[in-house]
Order: sequence, then structure tokens, then C-alpha cells
Amino acid sequence: MTKNLLHTTLSVYLLYSLLILLIAAPVLYFATQQLYLQEADDTLLLHKKEFIQYVAPTMDKEDIGAWNKFNRNRKIYPAESLQNDSIYNTTYYDTLDAELEPYRELKASVTIQERIYTYTSKINLVESEDIIKSIGLLFFITISVLLAGLFFITKRLSLSLWKPFYKILQQIETFEIDKTQTLQFTPGRIEEFNRLRISIQKLIERNTSIYATQKEFIENAAHELQTPLAVFQAKIDSLMQRTDVTQGQSEILDSLNTAVARFNRLNKNLLLLSKMENAVYSDKITISLTNYIHKNLDFFKEQANAKNIHIKIDIEKNMEIKLNPILADILISNLFLNAIKHNIQDGEIIISAKKGNLTFSNSGQAMPLKQEHLFNRFSKVNPSEDGTGLGLSIVKKIADINHFKVSYHYTSNLHSFTITF
Amino acid sequence: MKLLLIEDEKELALSIQKYLTHKDFVCEWVYKKQDAIEKISMYEYDCILLDLMLPDGNGFEILKEIKDQNKSEGIIIISAKETLETKIEGFRIGADDYLTKPFHLSELLVRIQALIRRKNFNGNNIVVFNEINIDILSKTVRVNNKLIDTTKKEIDLLLYLIGNENRVLSKSAIAEHLSGDMADMLDNHDFVYAHIKNLKKKLNEAGSRDYIKSVYGLGYKWKND
Repeated sequence: MTKNLLHTTLSVYLLYSLLILLIAAPVLYFATQQLYLQEADDTLLLHKKEFIQYVAPTMDKEDIGAWNKFNRNRKIYPAESLQNDSIYNTTYYDTLDAELEPYRELKASVTIQERIYTYTSKINLVESEDIIKSIGLLFFITISVLLAGLFFITKRLSLSLWKPFYKILQQIETFEIDKTQTLQFTPGRIEEFNRLRISIQKLIERNTSIYATQKEFIENAAHELQTPLAVFQAKIDSLMQRTDVTQGQSEILDSLNTAVARFNRLNKNLLLLSKMENAVYSDKITISLTNYIHKNLDFFKEQANAKNIHIKIDIEKNMEIKLNPILADILISNLFLNAIKHNIQDGEIIISAKKGNLTFSNSGQAMPLKQEHLFNRFSKVNPSEDGTGLGLSIVKKIADINHFKVSYHYTSNLHSFTITF
Repeated sequence: MKLLLIEDEKELALSIQKYLTHKDFVCEWVYKKQDAIEKISMYEYDCILLDLMLPDGNGFEILKEIKDQNKSEGIIIISAKETLETKIEGFRIGADDYLTKPFHLSELLVRIQALIRRKNFNGNNIVVFNEINIDILSKTVRVNNKLIDTTKKEIDLLLYLIGNENRVLSKSAIAEHLSGDMADMLDNHDFVYAHIKNLKKKLNEAGSRDYIKSVYGLGYKWKND
């Protein structure tokens, strides 16, 4: 599956942003929590230090009760022995909120009037949770806004940055080498695109010129061949009139005659193709396809008679198309003769023209033709046959220059060629 | 009948000259524009065969010269130029027919005959060959004064055969003549046989002698023996 350039860029950006968000959120959460605990521990230790330094030396045994009474978070209990400081998490039941709340607590041994006591100090962690949540949310919002901004800026920027590229692309897509049109690229401010534009322009110019030379060559060659061909034909015609021609010689003469006739047809058809490429037949008028089919029907029936082919015609009363009249004749004749030529003895031809479609269907070899080269010049189903191999490529060319569609189907033993106008 | 052939391709000109000189035609040949104009102003011809590309000019210039001199010769252009524009231009200046190279000599001959018939037309346009009588205008054929039922194609074929009397006509030449513009697309000439057979049958049934002969390996010949 192919993807649009912009979509690909943006989806990569989006994926990266999501990944960062997913990783950053828990990391930030734990880091902040850790920092807060650290802070709480420092506070607890500081309080203890203060207590030992300033409070403990001035304290009496009797003061302990008062201390415990007025200090909710710091208590002093008598202890048996000295113990190392310990800091841990714990929970206490809060009577105000009526729920268990998390606390950080420090337990240390202190000496008051040479007696050992246990000093505990605790800090409520509920506030810290709230702060962490707030920070997290703030962070999330900031990052989201940042990413969304980046996303839209990239999108807008890319669109305008790649605009010349899409313009070039569109022009190349509509470019057809056999049409007389020139590509007009306008220079932009991005260097790479200018380079691309210049290279494509050079490429196209070169190809167009090669194509034109080739086209001219075919036309000139076909044209120049006509005079020697005329001499050849005339000499054969003259030779045939001689009374001293033997049987063996007349067989050779007959072959020569067939060959020169085929040569002539080939040449004429090549000329026709060249002329179509040179837009000689570009003037169109509205013609009745129905009339054009009926016009030469007798001629085709005569041709079909040799194979005893049955012709069935199913055409709309007045189907009109816009086409050059010469090309209309050539189109119908080629389709018709193709249907006759590749037909079988006692076969059938069905001509249907309706709803903007003209279809010639014929019986023939019992398997579909290979579509691949069907409309190419000199492609023949049967290489030994007499045809020029140009008939269908002429049909295709006529369709191409008039923007019609040609298609081939094989259904229920019928080969169908359809022109969609 | 006097013909003037203006053609710069010597070999082609010789073949045409030989083929045409056969019957009651006299065919003169020039290959330069200047010679052609001289001949045309000095002599009268029944028909002029004109090539368009000449070493010292364009055939159209000769055509204009003929028209300027108010000459009434029938003119057939024989050229390798096959574009519609050239043909239209030729007819516009005053040519009577246009034949694209390459062509069969037999085709050229019947075109000349048809042109001369049109030129000398005086009320009736009839071709007579022994007992066969063809009225070209009403498209009817009579054998021994008896009307026979023929198609347009058969009359066309009959005129072509009679026009090329005693000449061997190949199947492809006949096919090209009968199919006209379609000839370039047609690669099967078997239909000629059916036409010949039908024509032969109709003529024979009406009591005509058998003039259509098959020439082994080559084609057919109209022969008066």
C-alpha cells in the first residue's frame, strides 16, 4: 500500500509524540514523587536536628507530656535503647476526613536529661499527591499544545513547501508524448524543486524531440517508399502481360503480386498512423454512427460471405458521435474486417451500438486473446497470416486521439471489441 | 487517342507508356515541366497524366498553365502525395481524377477510358463489346439486346475487364479496383472469385460468348477469340 508523502511525515511525527508522552508521563510522575519524598525526608531530618539542638537541651521530663499534647505530628516516647534513625511510609486514620491517609514518618532516638526517648515526626503526603497530579496535568497540557502546534505548523508548512512538487507531478501525469503540448513549469524558491523541474523539462524536451524525429522518419520513409513501390507494381503488371511466361514463372509472379499488395497496404497504414499522430484528422463533426455502419454494410457482407458468416446488427436508431468522418470510416472498417478475418467458417458477427458503446463481437478461436500486446503495432495472433498487424493499433490510435476507450472481452466463445464514446 | 504522360520516374513512365500504347492509344512522355508546357501549347491531347513532383517544378503549375490556356484536356494526377489537402487542391485547380502511387496499370487504363468517355459524352454513354452493350448512365447491361440483371459491382467489374481487354489482371488488382478506398484495409481477395463467377454465369445464361478466361496462377483475362 502506498501512502501520501504528507501523511507519512505526519504519522511519523504523531507516533513519536505519542511515544514521548507515554514514556514521559510515568517518568515525570515518579521523578516528582521521588523529589517530594526527598524533600519530606529533608524536612523531617531538619526538624529532628532542630529538636536535638534547640529543644532537647531545654526540656524537662515534665515538658514531654505538654509537648505531646500540643504537637500533633511530633511525639516523644520513652525508649529502652538507642536505635538508628529510620524513615518510612505509613498510614494514619484521619478523623477529620474519616479516611486513611499516607504519611512519611521519622523515628529517631533522642536523649533528654540523660534518658533515652524515641522521637517520631510525620508529614502528611496527601498534599504531595495533589501537587504531583497538578504538575503532571500541567505538563501534559503543555506538551499536548506544543505537539499539536508542531503538527499543524508542519502540516501547513509541508503543504506549501511541497506545493511545487505536486504541481510538477500533476503536469507530468497529464503529459502525453504524442500530443502536441508543451509543459510550462514556473520556477519556485526551493532549490531542489527547481532542479527537479529543470531536469524534467530537459528530459521531456529531449524525448519529445526524439519522438518527433522518429515520427517524421516513419512518415518520410513510408512516403518515399511509394515511388519505388509504384515502379515495382508497374513492372510486375507489365511482366504479367508477356505471353512467354511459364507456369513456374507465373507462380513466382503471383507471389510477388501478393507481396507487393501487402507491402502497399502496410505502407498506407503506416502513413495513416503517422498522419493521425500529426493531428491531420483533428477536425470533428457530429456524425450518425448508425449511417456509417449501414453505409458499407454491403461491402462487408460480401467479404463475410466467403466464410458464410452470419451478421447480426443491433443498433440504436440514431446514435451520434463527434468524430472526423474519414476516421469514422476507417474505425468501422477496421473493426468489421477484424471480425471477419479472425472468424471461423459459418461463424457469426454481432454489431451492437447503444448507450455510447459500439461493440463488434465475433466467433473465432476458442480461447481469449492475450490482452498485453493486442493493440500494439505488428502484433499478430497468428504470425503466418496475411494481415498487416496494424488494424487494431489503428483502432486504438483513433480511440486515443479522440479520448474514446477501447476494450476487449471474451465471453461465451465471442471475442468482443468495444469502443466507449 | 493521344495521351501525354508527365512523369520524372523513368522506369515507371516506360511501363505506363508500354501498357497504354497497346491499344488505340498513343502515349507521349516528357519528364520536365518546361517540355510539358511546350507540348501542351503545341498539340491537342485527349488526356494528360500528371505527376506532381518534377525536377524543375510542381505539377500544379502545369495544371494552372493548362487552365490558363483554356484547354479542355482531361487531366489525371498521378502522385505519391496522398493527403486529402493535395487532392482537394488538385481538383480545385481543375484536375478530373487523382490516382495515388502505387497503382495498377489496369486501374490507370480504366480511369483514362472513363475520363475520355465523360469528355466525349454526347447524349449517350455506352460501351459496346460485340454482343454486350453497357449503358453507363442507366447502369444497365444488355446481351444481344436482352436486358440482364446485374449489380452495380458486376457492371463495374465488366467495364474493368473490357477496358483491359487482352491483359492479364491479377486478383489483387481486381480486388483493389472493386473495393476502392477500402483496399488498404483488405487483406483477403477471395471475394473476387465469387464476383467473376457470378458475372460469367449471368453473361453465359444470356447467350454471350465466354470472354473471361482464367490465367493459371495469375488471375483473369478478357479475351475476344
